[in-house]
Order: sequence, then C-alpha cells, then structure tokens
Amino acid sequence: MSTGVDDINLTDPAFWTQPLEDRQAAFATLRRERPIAFFEEPLFGDAPVGPGYYALTRYDDVVEVSRNPDVYCSGMGSTSVTDMPPEAAEFFGSFITMDDPRHARLRGIVSRRFTPKQLSKVMDDVAHIADEVIDDMCEKGETDFVADIAQPFPLLIICDMMGIPRSEYQTVLDATNKILGGGDAEFVGDDPITEIFGAGMTLTQLVNELADFKRKNPGDDLTTALINAEVDDDVLTPQELGAFFILLAVAGNDTTRTALSHGMHYLTQHPDQRQIWQDDLDGVTGSAVEEIVRFAAPVVYMRRTLTRDAVLSGTELKAGEKVVMFYGSASRDESVFEDPDRFDVRRSPNNHLGFGGPGPHFCLGAHLARRELSVMFRRLFERLPDLTAVGSPELLDPMSMPLVTGVKRLPVTFTPSARIGGR
Amino acid sequence: MRVSVDPDRCEAHGVCTGIAPDVFELDDDDVLHVVLAEPPAERWGEMRDAAMRCPKQAITLSE
Repeated sequence: MSTGVDDINLTDPAFWTQPLEDRQAAFATLRRERPIAFFEEPLFGDAPVGPGYYALTRYDDVVEVSRNPDVYCSGMGSTSVTDMPPEAAEFFGSFITMDDPRHARLRGIVSRRFTPKQLSKVMDDVAHIADEVIDDMCEKGETDFVADIAQPFPLLIICDMMGIPRSEYQTVLDATNKILGGGDAEFVGDDPITEIFGAGMTLTQLVNELADFKRKNPGDDLTTALINAEVDDDVLTPQELGAFFILLAVAGNDTTRTALSHGMHYLTQHPDQRQIWQDDLDGVTGSAVEEIVRFAAPVVYMRRTLTRDAVLSGTELKAGEKVVMFYGSASRDESVFEDPDRFDVRRSPNNHLGFGGPGPHFCLGAHLARRELSVMFRRLFERLPDLTAVGSPELLDPMSMPLVTGVKRLPVTFTPSARIGGR
Repeated sequence: MRVSVDPDRCEAHGVCTGIAPDVFELDDDDVLHVVLAEPPAERWGEMRDAAMRCPKQAITLSE
C-alpha cells in the first residue's frame, strides 16, 4: 500500500488497520529514507491540536533518547503523542509520566516485587493459573484464543498480585479495555473520551475501596505495599494511589495479552519454528519468548519531550518538541538485526527494544511478562500440542495511533483434552 | 577500571550477569554484587557492553 515515503502518515488511523506486513514495509521505508520524520498530531477530543512530533524509527535513535532522560523527558505533557489534559492526568498521570527523582521514588515502592526471585515465589501461582485457564477451554476443541487464554491469564495474575478480589475482575477487564482500546468503538461506543474517563474513575474508586479493606486486612500484595509506602515522607494521596493502580492494572494486562495472541499467530504461520520450540522446551523457551516480544512489539510507542535544544543523528530538535519512539520498528532495524523480518525462535543475539530502551522507564514488568509467556506456551504445548490458529487475528480498530497493538479475537482449533483440575 | 553498581537503580534484569557472570552476581534476594570490581584490561570491552546494555543504567565504570 504505502509505496513512497511521502505516502506514509503514522497519524492516520487507517495506517494502523493495514495488515502488519504493510506497516512493517512502511517502517522499513522510514528507517531507510526518513528515520526522523515529522508528522502532524492527531485530534484528541476537542483539545487544541499540538505542534506535531518526530517519529523515531531507527534502533540507535531510540536507544539514544531512552538513555538521556535529562534531554528527552517524560514529565512534560505526557508519554502519549497528545498532551494529557489536566482532568486526564488525575487518572492516568503516574510515574510513567514523571521524571527522576520522583519517578524513581514511586517506582521503587513496587520495583523489588518484580525481580526474578521475588516472582519465582509466585511461580507456582503462575503455573496454577495457567492450568486453571487451560482447564476452562481444553474440552472445547475450538475457541477464541483471546477470550479464553490471552485475556484471562495476565488479568488473573496481575489482579492476584494486586490483591483484587475475583468478583472485581470483570470490572478491571472492562476498564482496561476502554483505556487501552485505542478508541475502538467495540469498547467505548460513540463517546470515547467520556468512556475512558469513566473507566479511570471506576478503577480509582475500586482501589480506594480496596485500600480501605487492606488497611484493616493487610496482605502480601501490591495494594498493601502502596498504602503503606512513604514517598518524600508522605503517604500516597487517594489520587496518586488511583493513578498508580491504573498504571499497573492496565500495563500488566493488555501487553501480555497482545504478546500471547500475536505469539500464537506467529507460531501458526511458522510451523517450522514452532516445531523447533516444541521439540526442545527447556532449550528454546527463553529465546522464543524474546523473539515473540521483538516481533509483536506490544507497546507501539512512547513519547519523550525535549527539555532543551539538541541534535539527534544530525536533526536539530528544539526545546519543547516531541519525539516518538516506535519500538517495533527499532526492533526490526536491519543495521542491528540480521534478517529482521524472519521469525526465529533461536535468535541470538536479540537485544530488542520490545520492553523499551535502556533508561529509567525500562519495562517494570519485563520479568513478569517473560514468565507469563514462558509458562503459558509451555503448558499449551504440553497439554494441547496441536493447538493452531485458524485465520488471521482480528486487530483493534483504533481512532488514532494505538498505544498497544491489541488483538480482539483469534480463533483456534485443537484436539480436545481432559481437564486436570486446579483451584 | 573500576566497576560499580547503583543498588537503587538496579532491578535485577540480569543482562550484566549474562555477559560476565564472574564479575556480576545476583544473590538470593536479587541484589546485585560486583564480585570482581577491578577486572583486567582484556575484560573492559565486556564491562562497557554491560554498562551500555543495562536496562536501568545502574552500572558505572571509572578509569
């Protein structure tokens, strides 16, 4: 579709509903011909249209920007392309849209909970939940992979980690779908702005009720850690608590759901690669999971804002201007990755940017995501070895550039198998 | 060259322990230790690689 570099418009919602291959081809053109390309900004409700942004599509530029938060900051406006209006910041302005030192203090409240050994303590839970989720679909023979596997699995895990009772799972799911659905009418109807704010309000209310409960009944969960945390000698305000909770719930959900769904699709498209993985689960799982994250790049982009004038790969940028890092493009940069469009479950080295570039905002949940993907694919290979996607994934239908390359549905078939019983 | 790690930044991503397991070590609580703080010159390339690739920019090299 996109033939020349001038035909490419990343702001156009239609760009994001093209087949993945066409998008990848457009990004390859940008990397080659216009690696720092300027685009007009999308509309966001009736907010005034911003000044535009530079799209960074090469690996080295994304790394450079990530490594220099003093110049390319997160705390001016937002990390989404359009600035957040103040009423949105109330719900969605957590540490992802802050700079150090405050970012580090807030992140530090929970960061030790996400290290590998801390997570290995919940490893049994992850495996249990995987089996429980598979039990609910293993007798069907055909189903929707998103609804039955990719959606419930990370949701159950992040809700358990946060201490959210199971009775509230549907509320959390609906709210996160609205927040990260990119304005897809299936989730937000005709009035996305109202629906997205409503979802923020719902989650803020939920966590503050939960916080009241946890003050009386503390547990070994993230919500208890948050209400007991002191930052700058002060506890979190109800609003800060709400925004923190929304960030963890949203980020912990849609990203892994997207990676699982795209992963299932790639494995069906590349039966040879699937065979390699299935034949050597212990040897290949680690690299296969990295390759899925590189290939799927669930988080489409993050924005940074210039704190001062700077030159990036010869392009002069001014204070206040916006740069947007496209992680999927950077992770297919042919100057770094050999044969980047090949899905290779044994790829090595694989220093992809699917979890972001090196810097303060590197994905907090990277270990958790790796563990979730490893456990789920292993259990699926063991329990439903012929599980196969039929047809293409149905992608989000975004109003503008989506933050997550979400998958709404992916039909699969398999030989039915017996439940093994879980909790 | 001296290698040091900022414990407030480190989140145990394990990139450095993958590059140089005899220099960097994660203990049972996922706290990173530099067990060979002054590696010989032929290891400096690896040290620079570890510092560059640390997701949290927690590694400092001083000449």
